Amino acid sequence: MIEFKNVSKIYDTGTEAVHNVSFKIDKGEFAFLVGTSGSGKSTLIKLILKEEEATKGNIIINGRDITFLKARSVPHLRRSMGVVFQDFRLLPDKTVYDNVAYAMYIVKAIPKHIRRQVPMVLSLVGLSTKAKCYPNELSGGEQQRVALARALVNNPSMLIADEPTGNLDPETAWDIMNLLNDINARGTTVVMATHAKDIVNRMEKRVIQIDKGIIIRDDKKGGYNSEV
Amino acid sequence: MRYNGFSYLIGEGFSNVLKNKKSTIISIMTMVCTMFLFGIFFSIGVNVNSVLEQVQLKQGIQVFIWDETTEDQRLQLESEIKTLDGINTVVFKNKQQALDDFKEMMKDRKEFLKAYEGENNIFPASYVVTLTNLEKSNEIQDEIKRIGAKIATEGRSQEVNLDIEESTEHDSVIKEITSSDNAITALITIVKGVRIAILVIFIILLVISITIISNTIRLTVHARRKEISIMKYVGATNGFIRWPFIIEGIIIGIIAALITLLVVGVLYDFVIQKIQTSAVLQKMNITLLSFIEIAKPITIVYAILGIGIGIIGSSMSMKKYLEV
Repeated sequence: MIEFKNVSKIYDTGTEAVHNVSFKIDKGEFAFLVGTSGSGKSTLIKLILKEEEATKGNIIINGRDITFLKARSVPHLRRSMGVVFQDFRLLPDKTVYDNVAYAMYIVKAIPKHIRRQVPMVLSLVGLSTKAKCYPNELSGGEQQRVALARALVNNPSMLIADEPTGNLDPETAWDIMNLLNDINARGTTVVMATHAKDIVNRMEKRVIQIDKGIIIRDDKKGGYNSEV
Repeated sequence: MRYNGFSYLIGEGFSNVLKNKKSTIISIMTMVCTMFLFGIFFSIGVNVNSVLEQVQLKQGIQVFIWDETTEDQRLQLESEIKTLDGINTVVFKNKQQALDDFKEMMKDRKEFLKAYEGENNIFPASYVVTLTNLEKSNEIQDEIKRIGAKIATEGRSQEVNLDIEESTEHDSVIKEITSSDNAITALITIVKGVRIAILVIFIILLVISITIISNTIRLTVHARRKEISIMKYVGATNGFIRWPFIIEGIIIGIIAALITLLVVGVLYDFVIQKIQTSAVLQKMNITLLSFIEIAKPITIVYAILGIGIGIIGSSMSMKKYLEV
C-alpha cells in the first residue's frame, strides 16, 4: 500500500529532514507516525502527498512508484487517498454539503451519484443536520468531521491524517479517533501523524516513531514511548 | 452527452461572482474606469478619422472641357473617367451651371454678369471628380489627361474619314485640369499623422488597461490563495481550479463592458450633438458619427477587452498559486 525504500529528503536549505527511511504499511493497517515537532514526520506526510519530492530513494503507493510522478498526475495521486489536516482546510465559501461534494465534482462524479453519496457520508460522521452550515458556523470538532467526510466521500483505499486532533479538545479528539477506527474497521488503511501520547497509547495500533529523520522504532502494537 | 462536470465549473464561476461581492465590485469598477477612458479615445479617434475622410472626399479635381466637344465625346470622357481606380464621384457641370455658380459668388455684381448669358457664356463646362484616395491625385490627373487626348484623336480621325471641313483644333477634349495640390498634400500628411497618433494612444491605453486590470485580479486571486491550495490538496487539477476563476473573469468582463457601453453611449450622443451644431461643422457640411454607427466596433472592442482581460488576467495571476 505505502512503501518507503531508503528515502532521504534534503531541503534546499540543506537540512536533512528524513534520512534513509524504509517502512511498509499494508492494506487495512492503522499506523501512527509519532515524533516531536521537527522530527521529520510532517515531511513523511508531505512525501506521501507528493507535496515534496524525495531527494533519494523510492516511494511506492498502491503499487505505483511516485518518486518521479509528473506534476500533471499529482491530482490523481491525491484523489486515491483521503486527507485530513490539523487545520481542517475547508473551503470557507462553501456549505458543509458543498465542501464534501467538491471532492466528488473533482473526480467528475455524476450529479445523481453525488446527491446520494454526500448525505450518506455526512450521516456517517454525524453531521446530517449541519449540511447547510458554513465552516465558520461549526465547532472545531464538527469542522474536522466535515474534513473527514470529504476525505471519505470517494471511498479511498487509504486515509492520511496529519495531526487531525491537534486543534481539538480531548473529548472531541476521541470522537474523531473513534470515527477513524470505524473507518479502518471497514477496510480503509489509515496513516495518522500525531504527537498525542494518550491517543496512541490507548489505541494500541502500529507505531512508527521517527526522530531526527531516522525511524527509531516500529512496533506492531505499541504505545507512544517504547517503555510504556 | 457524457457528463464532464463543466456545468458545475460554470456554476462555480457564477457563485464566485456573487460570493466575493467586494472583489467583484472593485474589479468591475476598475474595468469600467479603464474601459471608459479607452472609449473616450476610441470615440475621438473614429470621429477624427471620419471627419478627415469626409474632407478628403470633398477635395475634387476640376476637369474643364472645350466648348467644341461633342455630346458623344463628353459622355465617353465621363464613362472612361468613371472606370478609373480611386474615383469617388464624377459630377457634370454644364456652362449654365458654371455661370450660375459664378453669379452666386458675385452676388453684388449680378448686373455686370448679364452680358455673359446664353451665347456669350465664356464659362466652360466641367466635370468635378472626387477621389477616394487623395494620394492618387496626380496619377489620376495624368490618366484623365490621357483619356482626353485619346478621345480628341479618335474624333479627328473620324472627321478626316468623313471629310468634314472644320476639324477640331484641340489636341484634347480637356481644356484644363485644376486641383488644389498644396491643400491635398497637407491633408494627406495630416491624415497620416493623426492615424499614427490614434494608433499609438490606443496601444498605450490597451497596455495600461491590461496592467491595471490584471493587477486587480491578482489581488483577488491572492486573497483566495488559501482556497486554491485547499483545492490542490483535495486533488483538484489545475484546470478544475482555474476554470471557475476564468469564468468569473469573463462574467466580470461582460458586466463591466455593458456598464461602460451604456455610460459611453449616453455621454457620446450628448456630446456629439453639442459639437455637431457648431458653426464650423455646419458650414463644411461634415457630419459626426452617431453612436449607432460606432456601437458595433466599440462593442466588439469592449467584448474583446472585457473577456480577453478576464481570461488572461485570471489565468496569469493564478499561475503562481497553482504550484502546490
